[in-house]
This record gives sequence, structure tokens and C-alpha cells, in this order.
Amino acid sequence: MSSKSQFKKLTYLTMRNVKIYFKDRMTFFVSLITPIILLVLFVFFLQTTYEDSIFSIIQGFDVDQKFIDSFTGGWLFSSILSTSCITVAFCSGMMVIDKINKNNIDFIVSPVKKSILQLSYVIANVFSTLIIAFILLVIGLIYLAFIGFYLSFLDLLLIIFTIVITSLFGTILANIIWIFTKTQGVVSGICTLVSALYGFICGAYMPISTMGSGMQTFTAFLPGTYATILFRQGFLNGVLNEMSKTLPNEMINGIAEGFDVRMLFFGNNVSTLALILVITISTFVLLGIFLLISKLKFRNNN
Amino acid sequence: MEHIIEIKNLKKYFGEVKAVDDISFSVNEGELFAFLGLNGAGKSTTINILVGVLTKDSGECYINGLSIDNIEKILPTIGIVFQSSVLDKKLSVYDNLKYRAMLYNITKNEFEDNLKFFTERLELNNILKKPLEKLSGGQKRKVDIVRALIHKPKILILDEPTTGLDPRTRKLVWNFISELIKNENLTVLLTTHYMEEATIADNVVIIDSGKIVAEGSPNVLKNRYASDYLRAYKYDKEILNILSDLKLPYKKSKNCLEIIFKNTESAKDFLVKNNKYFNDLEIVKGSMDDVFLAVTGKELKENI
Repeated sequence: MSSKSQFKKLTYLTMRNVKIYFKDRMTFFVSLITPIILLVLFVFFLQTTYEDSIFSIIQGFDVDQKFIDSFTGGWLFSSILSTSCITVAFCSGMMVIDKINKNNIDFIVSPVKKSILQLSYVIANVFSTLIIAFILLVIGLIYLAFIGFYLSFLDLLLIIFTIVITSLFGTILANIIWIFTKTQGVVSGICTLVSALYGFICGAYMPISTMGSGMQTFTAFLPGTYATILFRQGFLNGVLNEMSKTLPNEMINGIAEGFDVRMLFFGNNVSTLALILVITISTFVLLGIFLLISKLKFRNNN
Repeated sequence: MEHIIEIKNLKKYFGEVKAVDDISFSVNEGELFAFLGLNGAGKSTTINILVGVLTKDSGECYINGLSIDNIEKILPTIGIVFQSSVLDKKLSVYDNLKYRAMLYNITKNEFEDNLKFFTERLELNNILKKPLEKLSGGQKRKVDIVRALIHKPKILILDEPTTGLDPRTRKLVWNFISELIKNENLTVLLTTHYMEEATIADNVVIIDSGKIVAEGSPNVLKNRYASDYLRAYKYDKEILNILSDLKLPYKKSKNCLEIIFKNTESAKDFLVKNNKYFNDLEIVKGSMDDVFLAVTGKELKENI
């Protein structure tokens, strides 16, 4: 069959998968629980806590409140995006939902290759995650425009790159797990666990630098942490540069390290390029594992 | 007539359970073929093997002359309605049908034409924008049937398609399918619990515990396995003495007397000789229920 016809099937299957995710309000809501919790926490006490932390670092110096607002706002949206790219990826997976509802049988009896069907699930998963992430990004940018916007074009590019790579990472990781999952209970359990836990281990709720040393070492080995730091850099480098005009470097470094804008790996500063490489290589390694498992699984089924 | 489906010595075991145990049968092109059996008899397993949902343990299956080992070449020519709907509840009827139709390499225009044709005939055109989950059971079943037909297949496989449908909808569906068989030479392979559906089939296979126990046209099966009845509503009571003398089995109820005969011929002979004792009567051929009971020893109705 021609590649044009395969592409057409892939397109329609992907459209179907994306549409179902956005039509299923409950799944949609569950996948956005973490950002909602973050927003509520931020409004009620995180913003004040972060402001107090910054003031304790810059004691004796005067800083425009606009910088502080922009910093805490940027921190909030970097947290929201770093968690959403993973939680939405986990909760928008149609492969497992089709398996549970037995809707996949309809595709088994249709003239569509298993590889095309599988690929459509992954692409739709990425698309759904990207759509949500970009909507959140736009909301974040509008919010920052009101309270203080210091992002450069390069910062924006870094954020967009991190959204794409983290969504891919989350999607592939989720799809590896979904290959072995068949029951609604396990799916709900994993979704809830990821939604609840990921915010903590990626440092979305509280900075990794405030965690115990054991936890800090543990998170240093998780690729998701590197994505979070990249989001922090994208959202906060600009405002830190502005603050550096009135504050000494030591204080800026203190704020950057205290709020995860810089990452230390066993005491060594990890460069932005190294952060990008870690998350990118991890994504490709996961992709390799996913393709290998899919191939072995198909072979066993046939 | 050509065999469009041919099954030879098909076996499928699930551990100790012999779901399908060495069955062979063939379906002619353009016929309505009924597969009759109780739940767990092996009907759905056979169908699932034919369409590639399950793999066979041994035997051969051919559709359109192609082995089901080449299932990807066969699937474009098949439409199937499963026992339970496999469509997306959150999507509209239109989206469900469009996303499925586009997997069959038909153009958008062809899809719209087919959609119009099928939805008009099955009275679905007013609900195309409704999500599937908002439809009644009957409407959902009709959408399932349109989904199976949307690419105009040569073979339609119906696994208990009208279970739970009201009589009017069932009639509408059957009239439409009969029309497709007649006008489009569609072949229909049907599994059903409804005797009236098996009765209208061209050929019937009765399966019990994974094995075929009877096959043939409904008429042949009735003649071979079912008794005929003479039902008398107004009669002279003297006939009861004659029946006792002849040792003919009969059932007497408040409204009628039912005399059981081996076949229509013996019923006719009896009637010619004893016509004067009857004022109001009818001769009824044995039903598929009787056939089923005779070949399996089980009542079909009890298991619906």
C-alpha cells in the first residue's frame, strides 16, 4: 500500500485520538490536577513563601517589587509547565484507554497496520500534551506581561524546546508503561501517582535545593529534573539579569541556586548545553527502548 | 455458486476448553448464512478467528479465496458488527464513522455518499452530530451496522446484531440487510439467538460445544429434525379415540388439540382419512427451536 495512504490513515487515527482526549472532560481534568494544585498553592502561600525567601537573601538591598513578582510568576509557570508536560502525557494516552474499552478491536479488524496504529497513539499523545503545554505557556506569558516581562527571544526558544522535548520524554515513558497495562485500575493508579508525585520529585512544589541531600542526589539522576531546570532558566534568566543590575553577583547566585535556576551535580555546575543534552539523550534512549519493546511485543502476539 | 468463506478443520482451544473443535463449513457468495448456538458454543470464537482478532490453533480458513494468514488483504472486504459496540462513546456519530471510513482508502466524497445512503436508510441522519453515548441502544446498534457497511464490504459479519432491539428497529434492520443481499450481492454471516432470524437464512450451521451438530437450509433441517403439527381448534371428540388407537402422540389444551407427526406427508394422509372430524385446523411445520432441541438436546430460548 502506498505511503500516501498510510499517511492518510495515520493522520485520521491521530485526529481521532486527540479529539477523544479533549472530549473526555474527566481525563482532561485529571491530567491538569497538578497545575491546578500548583496554582492554588501559589495563590494561597507559595508566592509569599518565595518572596520571603528572596527578601531573606537580599537583606539590606532594595529591589523593585516588579522583579520579585516576575520572578515568582516565572517560577510558578516553569513549575506548571515542567509538571504538565509529564502529567498530561501520562493521562492523554489513548492506547491504554482503547485497550481497556476494547475499542482497539475495531482497528484490528480494519485494514490498518499495527505499527501505524501504535504510532498514531504516540503522535496524538505528543500533540495533546503540546496543545495543553502551549496554552499554558500563552497564559503564562500574558500573566508575565502584566506583572513584568523580562524574557528574551532566546529564553522563549529555550522554553519551547523544553516543552517539546519534555512532552516527547513524558509521552514515550507513558507509552512504554501502557504497553504492559490492561486494566483501568492500574491506569488510574499510575495517573494519580504520577500527578501527585511528579510535582515533588521534579521540584515543582518546592525547590530541589531545599530538599535533603539524599533526595537531591536522587533527583539529580532523573532526566525530568534537567527539564525542570531548563524551564527555570527559560523563565527566570531574564529577570535575574535585570536584578543583577542592582544586586551583587553573590546574591544573584544565591537566588539562582536556591530556586533551581542552576543545577549542581555533585557540587559541579551543570551548563545549559549539558542540561539539554541529558534530557535529549534520555528521550532518544527511551524511544529506542519503546521501539524495541513494541517490536518484541508484536512478534510475540503474532 | 462460489464459496466466499471456506473453513476446513478449524480448531481453537483455550487450555482444556475446546472452543472450536474441528469444524468445517462454507458460505456461498450472496447468501445469508446463520451460525446458531448457545452462549459459549464457539460462534464468536470462529468469527474472531475469521477477522484476525484471535489466532487459530489449526485448520484452514479462506475468504475470497485468500487464506486468513493474509488477513490484511482480506480486511478491506469485510465489515463486522460485534456483540458489543466498539465505537468511541465520546465522539459524534459522524466522527466515529468518518475516522473509521478513512482507514479503507475511500475518498471524502465516497464517504459522504455512503454515509448519506446508509444513514437515510437506517433513519440516522438526524443524530449524526450527537455523541454516541447520548444515543439509545437501538440507535447505537444501527450506527454499529453503518460502521460495518461504510466502506461497502463484500461480506458482512453480524455477531448477535439485533439483541436488545425493539421489533420495529429489528424489522427495519433486516429489511435493509435483505435489500443489500438482493441488490448488492452482499454475503452475510450471522450469529443469532433469534429463531426467526435463523429461519430466513439460506443456510444454517448449528454448533454445540465447539462442534457442528447440524447444517443445511432451514427447510432441510426442519424436515430432517423437526416434527410437524396438526392443530385443531374445532373438532369432534371422537378423534381422541382414533388417536389412541393409532398411538399418535398429541397434546390437548383448553384452546386446541395438537397432534404430532413425523413429517408433512403423514399429517396429510391422516387428515385425508379423518377430515370429517375437523372443522377448524392448520398444519404447522416444525420450528428451528424443534430442530435445535433435536440436535443439541438443549432449549435455545432458555439461554437467551
